[in-house]
Amino acid sequence: MAGNAIDQTRRMLSLVTYLRERPGARVTDVARAFGITEDELIGDLDVLPMCGTSFRGGDLLDIDTDGDRIWWHNPDASGSSTGEPLRLAADEATALLVAARAVATLPGLRESGRQALVRATAKIEAAAGEAAGASSRLSVTFESEGGVFADVDRAIAERRRVWITYYSPARDELTEREVDPIRLFVVGHTYMEAWCRLSEARRTFRLDRVAEIRLLDEPSDPPPVELRDLSEGLVQPAAEDPEVVIEVGPGGRWVAEYYPHDSAEELPDGGLRITLRTPDPASLRRLALRLGGDGRIVSPAALADSARDAAREALAAYGE
Amino acid sequence: MAIAKAERLMNLALCLLGTRRPLSKRELRGSIEAYLEAFGPGNGAASGAESGAADNATGSDDAFNRMFERDKDDLRELGLIIETVESVDGETGYLARRDSNRLPPITLDVEEAAALGLAASVWQQARLAAAASGALQKLRAAGMPLAEEVYGSHSALETRIPVHEAAFEPLMLAARDRRPVVFDYRKANSARPEQRHVEPWTLECWRGHWYLAGWDRDRKAERVFRLSRITGKVRSRGIPFTAPVPDHVTVRETVERWAGETATGTARIKVRADHGYPLRARATSTRELGDGWDELEIPYGHGLDAWLVEFGPDVVVLEPAELRDAVLDRLRAVAKG
Repeated sequence: MAGNAIDQTRRMLSLVTYLRERPGARVTDVARAFGITEDELIGDLDVLPMCGTSFRGGDLLDIDTDGDRIWWHNPDASGSSTGEPLRLAADEATALLVAARAVATLPGLRESGRQALVRATAKIEAAAGEAAGASSRLSVTFESEGGVFADVDRAIAERRRVWITYYSPARDELTEREVDPIRLFVVGHTYMEAWCRLSEARRTFRLDRVAEIRLLDEPSDPPPVELRDLSEGLVQPAAEDPEVVIEVGPGGRWVAEYYPHDSAEELPDGGLRITLRTPDPASLRRLALRLGGDGRIVSPAALADSARDAAREALAAYGE
Repeated sequence: MAIAKAERLMNLALCLLGTRRPLSKRELRGSIEAYLEAFGPGNGAASGAESGAADNATGSDDAFNRMFERDKDDLRELGLIIETVESVDGETGYLARRDSNRLPPITLDVEEAAALGLAASVWQQARLAAAASGALQKLRAAGMPLAEEVYGSHSALETRIPVHEAAFEPLMLAARDRRPVVFDYRKANSARPEQRHVEPWTLECWRGHWYLAGWDRDRKAERVFRLSRITGKVRSRGIPFTAPVPDHVTVRETVERWAGETATGTARIKVRADHGYPLRARATSTRELGDGWDELEIPYGHGLDAWLVEFGPDVVVLEPAELRDAVLDRLRAVAKG
C-alpha cells in the first residue's frame, strides 16, 4: 500500500540517524523506541542494505542484524547525510501540536503532566518553524466536565469507590448507585468506564449525566474485565437487539447522523427510512416526540403507540 | 519483481540529501536501481545529448517522469525540502540541502517525552496517526528519551479523537495548502445536496463532530459546514483564495447557536416532580408548586421546543406563547399518529 511505503520511508530515514549513534543496538529496544513491532523493524532492516547514495558506486548501507543486535559496518560510507534528524513535515507538526493543545485542556492531566506538555508544545513549535503554521488550521475541543472528571480521576488514583446519581434520558430519571471506576476516556464526550455495584456489570457513564458524585472510603474493587475497544465506536447494537424502523421527512434526516443504523433508504419525498437496532426501543420514545411532524415510528407498534399516547396526555395538560 | 516503493523513495531521499551539488534527473535515474530497472538509463544518458532529451522522449521517459514527480511529492509530504536548480546549460537539478532539512536542536526531558507520547496517541485517523508516529520517530532520532509508561501504567485517561467523515482528509489537505474546494452539501433540513464552492480555513472538532469554517465563494460570506453532511467527494482546485483568511475563526460559537445553546430569552415551564433533571440543571430559578409539579425558569434559545417535547406529559410550557405554540404543534403531529 502506498501509505505504508511512505510511512516506512519516513521511519527508515529516522532509523538510520538513530542507529548511527548506537552501534550494536538491540532489536527489542529499537522497536520499542520507534513504536513498532520487531517484525516491522526486521522488515526495515531488510530494505536498508538496498539503500544508499549511489547504486553504481556501491555506496550502500551495510546494516545487518543477527535478530538480537543491529550492526552498521560502514556508518561513514554514505556521507554524513543521514547523520542528522530531519525537520518536521507540516502534517507531523500538525498531528503533534493539535493533539498536544487539545490534551493540555483536559482536567484529568496531573498538573506536572500538563506543564510538561505545555513545555514540550512550545519546544515543538520552535523546532517545527514554519511547518507549525498549518497546525492552526485544525483544532479539537474536548468536553471536560471538570468537577466530576477531577473526582473520578482522584478515585482511580486512590482506588476508591464512588457514589453517583446518574441521569438516564431514556427513563428521564436519576438513579443512585455505587461504582468502582476503572478508567476515563474521551470519545467526543467524556466517559467513565466502571464496575457498577447496582447491576453487578461493567457500565459506561457519560460524565455530563452524572448529577452528583461523592468519593467513598471503601476501596474500589472491580473484577478483572476486558476494557471496551474504543476504536469500534461506542454504540454497538447486538444482532439480537430489537429492530426499529423510523420514517423521517427532509427535516428529520439528522436522525441518520446521530443514531448508528443498519440502513437508511432514500424516500421519494426527500426523507429517509431508517432501520436501527437498540436493546431498549422504549428509549426512543423521546426521539419520536422530538421528531413531531418530521418523522414517525413505523415499527414496533408498541413504541409508536407509546409516543402517540404520551403526546395525547401532554396535550390534555394544555386543555386539548 | 518490481523494487518496493519504500526502497525507491529511500534511495531518492539519500541521494538528494547526500549530494552537495544539484543532481539532474538523468543522474538520479542512472543511479537509483528502481528507476534503472523499470525504465533503463534513458535517452539522455545513451546519447549524451542533454537538452535534446525531451524532444525524443519515449513512453518510458514519460512514465519515468511521472514516477519521479510523484516520488518527489511523496518525499515533500515527509517534510523534505527539495530545491530545483537550473544550471547554466539549462538542465534542471535537484538537491535537499542539509541545513534546510535539519531539525533544529531540541532537547526534551522524560516527562515531556511522556506527555507527547500520550498526545500523539489520540489520533485514530490514519494519516494523522502516521504523521504523529513519524514526528515522534524524528524526535527519537534527535535524542528524545524513551519515557517510562508514566501514563499507561496509571491509565486514568484515554483520549481518542474520532474521525469518521470521509471528507476530513481532503479538507485537511486543502486547508493546509490553501486550495479552494468543491463539494455537495446537504443542509440539515433539505433533501437534496447543493454544490458549494468553499475556501477552507479551519477544521474543528467539537463534541465529537467535525466542522469546517471557510469562505463560501458563491454566497460571498463566511460559513460553517458539518462534515457529516458533505455528500460525495471533496475536490480541490488549483486556484488561489479570493478572500483574506481571518486570524480568528468562530466555529464553536456558530455550532452552539445551531444547537440552541445561545439563549435569547427566558422561558417559564412546569416540570413534574422527580423528572426533567437536565432542565433543572439549567434552571435559573425553581419553585415548588405543591401539586406534584415544580415551576422552572430556563434559558430560551433556538431548538428549545424540540427538546421540551421529548419530556412528553412531564413538561408544560407556560410562556412565552410562541414556545408554547411550537411545542403544541409538535405534540399534535405526534398525537395524530
